[in-house]
Amino acid sequence: MELIMIAAAGHAVAEVAPWITYLFTGLLGAMVLCLALEEKIHAKKSVIVGVTAVVALLLGAFTGILPFGAVHLPNGHEMKLPVFIPGIEWGVITIILGSSLFVDVTSKSGLFTFIAIKLTKMSKGDPRRLLWFYGVMTVVFSAVLNNVTAMIIVGSLSAVSLGKLGQRDKLLGFLLVEGLLTNIGGLLTLISSVPNIIVGTTAGIGFVTFFLKAAPYVVVATAVTIVMGAKVFGIESLKTDEERAVALGQVASFDERDGIESMGFFWFGGAMLVLFICFIATASFDGWPIGKLGMGFVAMMFAVIMLCKFKSSVGKFYSGIDWDLLFFFVYLFVAIYAMEQAGVLELIGKGIAPIIGMGAKLGGGLLLVSSAVASSVTDNIPLAAVLSNILDSMGIANDSDMWWSVIFGANLGGNLTPIGSASTLVAVTIMHKHDLRISFMGFVKKALPFALLHIALATVYVLFVLKHLPG
Amino acid sequence: MSTLDRFESVFNAASREVFARQPVEIGRVLVVHDLPESRQDDFLYLAKGFLSVLEAPGGPEWKLFGGDTPFGIREVLDAVEQAKPDLVVTYRDLHGAAGEWPQSLGRHVDVLTQATVTPVLVLPCPVRGNMPGHALQNTDRVMAVTDHLAGDHRLVSHAVHFTRDGGTLFLAHVEDDTVFERYIAAIGKIPDLDTEIAREEIRVRLLEDPMEYIESCRAGLAREGSQIKVESRVKLGHFLSDYRELVEENEIDLLVMYTKDEEQLAMHGIAYPLAVELRSTPLLML
Repeated sequence: MELIMIAAAGHAVAEVAPWITYLFTGLLGAMVLCLALEEKIHAKKSVIVGVTAVVALLLGAFTGILPFGAVHLPNGHEMKLPVFIPGIEWGVITIILGSSLFVDVTSKSGLFTFIAIKLTKMSKGDPRRLLWFYGVMTVVFSAVLNNVTAMIIVGSLSAVSLGKLGQRDKLLGFLLVEGLLTNIGGLLTLISSVPNIIVGTTAGIGFVTFFLKAAPYVVVATAVTIVMGAKVFGIESLKTDEERAVALGQVASFDERDGIESMGFFWFGGAMLVLFICFIATASFDGWPIGKLGMGFVAMMFAVIMLCKFKSSVGKFYSGIDWDLLFFFVYLFVAIYAMEQAGVLELIGKGIAPIIGMGAKLGGGLLLVSSAVASSVTDNIPLAAVLSNILDSMGIANDSDMWWSVIFGANLGGNLTPIGSASTLVAVTIMHKHDLRISFMGFVKKALPFALLHIALATVYVLFVLKHLPG
Repeated sequence: MSTLDRFESVFNAASREVFARQPVEIGRVLVVHDLPESRQDDFLYLAKGFLSVLEAPGGPEWKLFGGDTPFGIREVLDAVEQAKPDLVVTYRDLHGAAGEWPQSLGRHVDVLTQATVTPVLVLPCPVRGNMPGHALQNTDRVMAVTDHLAGDHRLVSHAVHFTRDGGTLFLAHVEDDTVFERYIAAIGKIPDLDTEIAREEIRVRLLEDPMEYIESCRAGLAREGSQIKVESRVKLGHFLSDYRELVEENEIDLLVMYTKDEEQLAMHGIAYPLAVELRSTPLLML
């Protein structure tokens, strides 16, 4: 990270002709449009952003806006690197790579499925209690793992358990509530979602501070969503003793130990998960060597430790990595870096300056709502990356609520549409897999009351509550 | 394989079929025969002795239908309709020359097993010899067979009901290896699927489900305090030859199986070949 910061500092943006800025702005607009229409044009995110990055670098080279030259290291040495390398946020890349590998290997221990089935059995098959348990589990898994993995685990268990309980008609409600809760759980910690990582690292928000500031909102929003979901989708408790006895027998037939191949590895996985969270939490403290190495190092370190268990067959885990996502980030950082050199971020910054200029309350509220609307139709990651760069370049103080407006807006906007976040897309995929056909507008109609409530709650929370919290 | 599918598979595997005993009540038994009057009581005595497991206090009410005067299939069905029995007891080759046409159960019995919803107990033909020594003595050793045992509570409950206290209940499940090999051969032609992994994983999964279910039957009966011993016979093999071998090897007194299929008029899956081939074994056909 230090290398990046020094490199970035050395790459001060020079004066750029307006036509170049507009040309690059058009390119950014085209990229955002293509990302929004990803399904229609049948192209993966990484390809769309990769093409943008290549075109941006070519244009940058021909127009002479790219800062070619050596990179200065902290020890005074110079290093020759391709011009686009310093633009990549390697801290973010290593956090995503390391934590996804760690979660993938840890899931082989059967830990997550054990917890999920244990909670199912504790619900005694009562649909209302099941919704509460699955809802809380979605939030916790989203916070500790990531929102896509959380949706996959809880969503697939919901399909299996509701099928077994003969409550398949409630699956749509469960999946929708869980999909919405992934984005709320994604707000809980600094590493729960990519926008948090990007904005949090840019603003210098530590893991503990992030948690303390976000947790109260997450608790309230989770409870409100579950209560509202139960009412809207008619998820009631079982009424008769006979129904309760049948449901109890059905969930009792789940065997939570089925996915555990070795008890030793199971306990090891559990212990490593706890340690992982502790290390990630303390990685933002600069006072000790691990803090200096950063969260990306911690994530990679734990991934490597877990991989030791499968030392002769690590290939299957490497091939399971979401390379589309990783290359998407790499290309995105390159594209944004080129946009920065072309003055595009400065131009957008001028556009949102009036919003910020409206003051902490009105400006912060408008920034949150506009971030939410923008992230509902396009990927919230470029949005977070662009906005955090703009806020940074505008010199917004690290303790300003503006950063939180972007974090809350970018995360909660995903609840407005099925394409707003990767986890709601997974929820829709599970719905379709189980013949629950729901159109784009059908999703919006069902999710809108929840999403509006989340955004309204978040606006009040960021503007009036956040500054009174410790951190 | 997608992560979504991986987790769904894990949860599906963790969702076990646990035996839930269903009530079986045999209050009325209708005996259908083609014997002269002089031999009717002997046959009734033989049937009652064989089904002594049903002879608890307040045991079933027995009724006879038939005689050596020829009667049609319609008359048998009307008799069943009228008597509304919980069990029909008859024997193969009813109104046919015993052993003349070993390729079928006889026209009457063929239709009777399919046209009524009542379970039918088909005994060996009483006028034919060559029966094993243990035949028709009691129901000490009962075997339930199906091509899908896991979760089949009705079949197992009937088999339990007909097994004498202290007797042995064999729960058998044979996966057809011909079908299995055909699927593996198809997988062998798909480059994206590892044939050896598929062979091993599918084989284990196919056999694990019935074995786990049988274990739950054993545990469930033990919880009830039942004295019946449960034996598991699960394998990959050839339906007919393996079931025949299991029946002979374990000296089975009664074979319990399904014959009815909602989607067809003909007898269900493996039931017909088994019923035709196992001529000296009593069959309870549900």
